[in-house]
Amino acid sequence: MIRKLTCLIFPVLMLLAGCMKDDELWSFERSTHAFPFAGLFVCNQGNFMYGNASLSYYDPETREVLNEVFFSTNALPLGDVAHSMVIRDSLGYVVINNSGRIYIFHTHTFEVVGKITGLTSPRYMHFINDSKAYVTDLYARSIAIVNPLSMEVTGTIPVNNHESGFSQHATEQMVQLDKYVYTNCWSFDNQILVIDSQTDQVVDSIEVLKQPNSMVLDRYQTLWVLSDGGFPESPYGYDLPGLMKIEAGSRKAEIVHRFSQGALPRGLAINGSGDTLYFLNKGVYRHAVVSTREPDLLIDSPYPAGHQGGFYALEVDPVSSELYVADAIDFVQRGTVYRFTPHGEAVDTFQVGIGPGGFCFKP
Amino acid sequence: MEKKLLILLFAISMVFPLFSQGIRDSVFRIEGVSVAAERIFVKEQAGMKQTQVDTTVLQNKAVLSLSDLLSENTSVFIKNHGRGALATASFRGTAASHTQVNWNGISINSPMAGMVDFSLIPVYLIDELNLKHGPASLADGVGGIGGSINLYNRAGWNDKRTLSYMQGIGSYHTFDEFLQLGLGNKKIRSKTRLYHNQSKNDYTFVNRGIGNFDPQTGALSHPIDTNDHASYARYGLLQELYYRPRQEHVISIKYWGQYADRTIPRPTSYEGPDNSNLNNQQDTDHRVVADWKYYSPIGKWMIRSGYSGKQLDYNQMNRVPGLGLVPAIYSESRQNSLFSTLSYSGNRGEDLSYEGSLDMNKHKVGSVDSVSNMAYEGRRNELSLFFAIRKSFADRLNLNLMLRQEWVDGKRAPFIPFLGMEIRLLEGVDLLWKGNVARNYHQPSLNDLYWQPGGNPDLRPEKGFTVETGLEYQQNYGGHQIKTELTLYRTDIEDWILWIPSYRGFWEPRNISRVLSKGVEYMLQIQGKLSDFGYKVAATYGYTSSINYGDPAKWGDNSYGKQLVYIPLHSGNVLMHLHWRNLFLTYQYNAYSERFTTSSNDVTRRDWLYPYIMNDVSAGGSFQTKQANFTVELKVFNLFNEAYHSVLYRPMPGRNYQLVIMIQI
Repeated sequence: MIRKLTCLIFPVLMLLAGCMKDDELWSFERSTHAFPFAGLFVCNQGNFMYGNASLSYYDPETREVLNEVFFSTNALPLGDVAHSMVIRDSLGYVVINNSGRIYIFHTHTFEVVGKITGLTSPRYMHFINDSKAYVTDLYARSIAIVNPLSMEVTGTIPVNNHESGFSQHATEQMVQLDKYVYTNCWSFDNQILVIDSQTDQVVDSIEVLKQPNSMVLDRYQTLWVLSDGGFPESPYGYDLPGLMKIEAGSRKAEIVHRFSQGALPRGLAINGSGDTLYFLNKGVYRHAVVSTREPDLLIDSPYPAGHQGGFYALEVDPVSSELYVADAIDFVQRGTVYRFTPHGEAVDTFQVGIGPGGFCFKP
Repeated sequence: MEKKLLILLFAISMVFPLFSQGIRDSVFRIEGVSVAAERIFVKEQAGMKQTQVDTTVLQNKAVLSLSDLLSENTSVFIKNHGRGALATASFRGTAASHTQVNWNGISINSPMAGMVDFSLIPVYLIDELNLKHGPASLADGVGGIGGSINLYNRAGWNDKRTLSYMQGIGSYHTFDEFLQLGLGNKKIRSKTRLYHNQSKNDYTFVNRGIGNFDPQTGALSHPIDTNDHASYARYGLLQELYYRPRQEHVISIKYWGQYADRTIPRPTSYEGPDNSNLNNQQDTDHRVVADWKYYSPIGKWMIRSGYSGKQLDYNQMNRVPGLGLVPAIYSESRQNSLFSTLSYSGNRGEDLSYEGSLDMNKHKVGSVDSVSNMAYEGRRNELSLFFAIRKSFADRLNLNLMLRQEWVDGKRAPFIPFLGMEIRLLEGVDLLWKGNVARNYHQPSLNDLYWQPGGNPDLRPEKGFTVETGLEYQQNYGGHQIKTELTLYRTDIEDWILWIPSYRGFWEPRNISRVLSKGVEYMLQIQGKLSDFGYKVAATYGYTSSINYGDPAKWGDNSYGKQLVYIPLHSGNVLMHLHWRNLFLTYQYNAYSERFTTSSNDVTRRDWLYPYIMNDVSAGGSFQTKQANFTVELKVFNLFNEAYHSVLYRPMPGRNYQLVIMIQI
């Protein structure tokens, strides 16, 4: 009887034991690529804490889309929340927010070259010169100075605001005019900090409407700032969202347009010739920098009224001025990118990774 | 002919789990396996699918958390963020908040988040564990669209004075101490349980989230990292007092207090500064429940009052040069709930019984983040009326009608009926055909309604409609007993609440979708004796299809018609327990099929949670001296040292060991 029982147990044991796949899963043939042409990278943020950020590559010429290019080339996951990307020469720098690092890779082959680590909660990277770049940060209350050649953090620019009861300053995007780098402080903040890139010091600040989320520089060297105003119940308070401009050399913001309460403008971008602004407010809006009229709706949101969805990210091709608009859908599936002509006519649609939130054009 | 067909059907269904890779259920221990058939044809439970977890399982898993027991011995799926970390349940493919958890009759679901972290409940505290699947949970209350999990403490009137101490010593610097003292007589009893669990939880794993590059060759390697910042410590006390002045009166009061301190690991891909992104969580719970039961010749009265309070503090710290550690998040929340119940159940002869109860509950919560100054307060008053009538017809048919009506903050909630039936198919044989049809609903949690930012006060309750049918069979064959049950269910849930990121930068809950959850649950238990050996085999298998049929808002949304994230289609477990004299051996399998992490069910190499099977084995023995009874047991978890994941990129431990020593006086 006992023998019978063991006879029964063992086959079951064999059947059930050992079908794990971790090593198998990770030993796959890496893909090789060569794209020495102009193209578009899409940073797919992924889900916070899930480590499922990814990088997509789109060839506007052939309309070919390659998803997960970093992972498939390097057998290395990008990390947790890929926030933004910049290109310097032929190298791409992807800022991975919740992994505290920047991956550096070759933009033609997607092969990883190295990494810059030791960053607290990095958001954007901006090159001052070949051996110096700034990295803004959500929590560090300082901007990191990094040397992209040695891939090291070489210093910090403190931006702590002792006077505020809120966690300030959290720095975001960067725009450079002459030697001055402007950075917007979005989270519970209303400042644009001005940094002297020669002395690495904050030299001035410009008050804007609450929660400036994006900035661009136009052809007249006017700085345009878009603020979402926070949200009505915020303990920090709420401003009606607005579009502002700061004339070259001026340190004062002038309100160009105010939105209605509940509007959620974001993703300010500018075309290649620096004369037309685009931004998202559920749909895509357009505004000529010299215009005195209200921004006009160029592309309507595919979501019905009352739905909280909308386009999530926007970028303009600096050469063709074509628009690329990302829709993250529910943020837990692959997002979609729509390509439009500068006049809003549909050109192409393609699927990318989870939470497409940033674009980077490869010249 | 009919009989033969039925026997054949059951023979097939019993073999089935051996060939499927999914399975589930129970563990057992020493004391011979008692082969006394329970009554399964009970009109008060007609049409209800229940799982009564074997007490030997409770003993075997006493040193572990309820999350471990549920995932290894029941059909509840546990989403586990790591050893000792947040563990939430999915019952019949539903959301974590759709499982109602009651401790001695009072709800211990967080009124803020709606769910329960099962990693914080030590099995050691549970004397009786009952699961009600799907609408069966309406017997306990509304909201358990997936089901309810009921934890009970029992007086043990026949116990003498007992004193026991259990010490667990495990891998990763894990120490568990449990002390129990029982005192009293047939009139008054006291039971005290004290416990302390702590672990550094410092297991190592191949960190695929980090790549190191050889400076010469550029070759990529993954470091072997330690599961840092994952330690936990729990301290707790459970005190029970029972008083039975006369045979028909029982009064009891129970208190359970617990403090838990955990560090929460960073993402495994983190390469920021060592002293940044440090996360910490403390949970302090106090729960009290008092009841008085009066058994009159024709019925039973019960009055119960309870309190449940929780303080949950969570912070994330970062180093800021010149300032030291600065919080990025410093959130403190308080949750207070009061419960009162008055119930009566009575009989009219053998064949008819009825039950009525009135519940009044009050919840008050408050949360503040002192970094963002974001705060909210929420309150809720619930009033619930319950009436049930059960009728038996000639020992062949039982009917069970239960009706519930709730008012939430004075507003009438949907009316909830349940109609269950069971038919004894063959006279004198425990072979039942069961079924029910019922509605259910689940109120949005207070976070869903009021959380800042994002809370949506316009949310509607989630509404469920279930149809269920199944067969249950139990039979003794000499010294062997077989028990098996097969259930098919279909639950249609409307207005399912999902938190979706809005592009304002925070998440907002919406009544977004319709979810259709369909499934099969199969359970098999065989136990008995073979000469000197006692054996028990328990298996469960679950097929859970939980599909999103939310309004496909527009083209591009590929989540329509897809399985919900993190819910395995196949799951199951098998437990084999053997004992010979004072020695015992337990083998446990626990298997899950792949789980998706995207609502569109994309399978990519990087985001895929592949199927896994865990094998655990434990062996031990007990011996008796004049003064005491000693039990020593060695447990081996993850026997084949497999790498597996429950949540994306959260490492789980490899093979690990635990030694448990128990002394009973």
